[in-house]
Amino acid sequence: MQYSFIKPRAKRLVSPEFKLLFFFFSITIGMLFVSYSFLKVKTLVYESNMEELLSKGETLKEGIVSMHEDIAFIKIQRRHAEGIYTENTVLKESIHNLFDLVPEKITLSQAMLKEDELVLYGVTPSKEVYEFLLQAPLRSIFHRSYTSYYAMPNGWYSFVSKNYLDRPVQ
Amino acid sequence: MKFHISRQMIYILTLAVVFLIIVFVFAFAFLIPSGKAYRVARLDTKKVSYQVDSIQAEYDNVYDDLKTLQADNRHVISAYKSIFNPERFTKMYRPHFKSFTLSELSTHSQDGEFAVYEVNTSSLIQSPQGFYDFLDGVNKSDNIIGVNFPIDFKRDGDLIKSSFTMHVYIASAKKKMEEVKIEE
Repeated sequence: MQYSFIKPRAKRLVSPEFKLLFFFFSITIGMLFVSYSFLKVKTLVYESNMEELLSKGETLKEGIVSMHEDIAFIKIQRRHAEGIYTENTVLKESIHNLFDLVPEKITLSQAMLKEDELVLYGVTPSKEVYEFLLQAPLRSIFHRSYTSYYAMPNGWYSFVSKNYLDRPVQ
Repeated sequence: MKFHISRQMIYILTLAVVFLIIVFVFAFAFLIPSGKAYRVARLDTKKVSYQVDSIQAEYDNVYDDLKTLQADNRHVISAYKSIFNPERFTKMYRPHFKSFTLSELSTHSQDGEFAVYEVNTSSLIQSPQGFYDFLDGVNKSDNIIGVNFPIDFKRDGDLIKSSFTMHVYIASAKKKMEEVKIEE
């Protein structure tokens, strides 16, 4: 005996509507998680990159400071070396000028050069020859000039000439 | 009219509301802050990257300057670093003199950044030209050497006996004071 005009449907614990809803929300939450994970990973990557960049920046800055120090030191070395080379050249020129200054008639036996002092020992045929040919140019170079003569048996004179430069007081 | 809501519908609506709450809470609590953090991190990285690029450009410029300076002053730099070898020096400059001897190097003193070693020299020359040539040669030597007063020239027969002091300068004295050795 039949009590209904339709066939009975099988009863399910979860209805198809419920499944559909669950499916869509799961997809939504899954997408949210994927987005969240993507953002988190990208943020970490950016932060890691930034740390690397900051570290690189620090290294570069230290390198720049170190190179500036090297540049400054090379410049100091160059200035110092140029100063010494110039002093050597000036010294050469001074000695050259000194020997050029001595006339043929006068013979030097010793020349002592100090920073502000020149001492000459030598022989001259007469005091006048020395005074005209050597004393005069020495006087034009040095501030103070003193000469002592010693008569020799042959009539010539040996002389000691001390010449000084007065440095300005600093 | 009577509005009838089935039990099934109530379950579905409840679930929908719960899911929506979860979605909103997740979005506001996690997604939006992480999005903001991402944007900030991206902008900061860009800014830092730009700064590092400009530092890199400055570094490259300074590096080029340093290399140019080093290339232009190669002789001076190596001269300040090289160790003074009296035997080699005597061998190099003996041709300018009839005889040429160096005393032992004194202990160093300090001249700013440089250690200064003093060496006394005595020599015999036939004419002052030998001494001039020596002074020219000293400026091109492997070391930075200054010829100093007092200089004494004395007649010795047909020759001139000369004695003078030389200062040998060595760089990085502060750093390398202990390392500097003078070859005997």
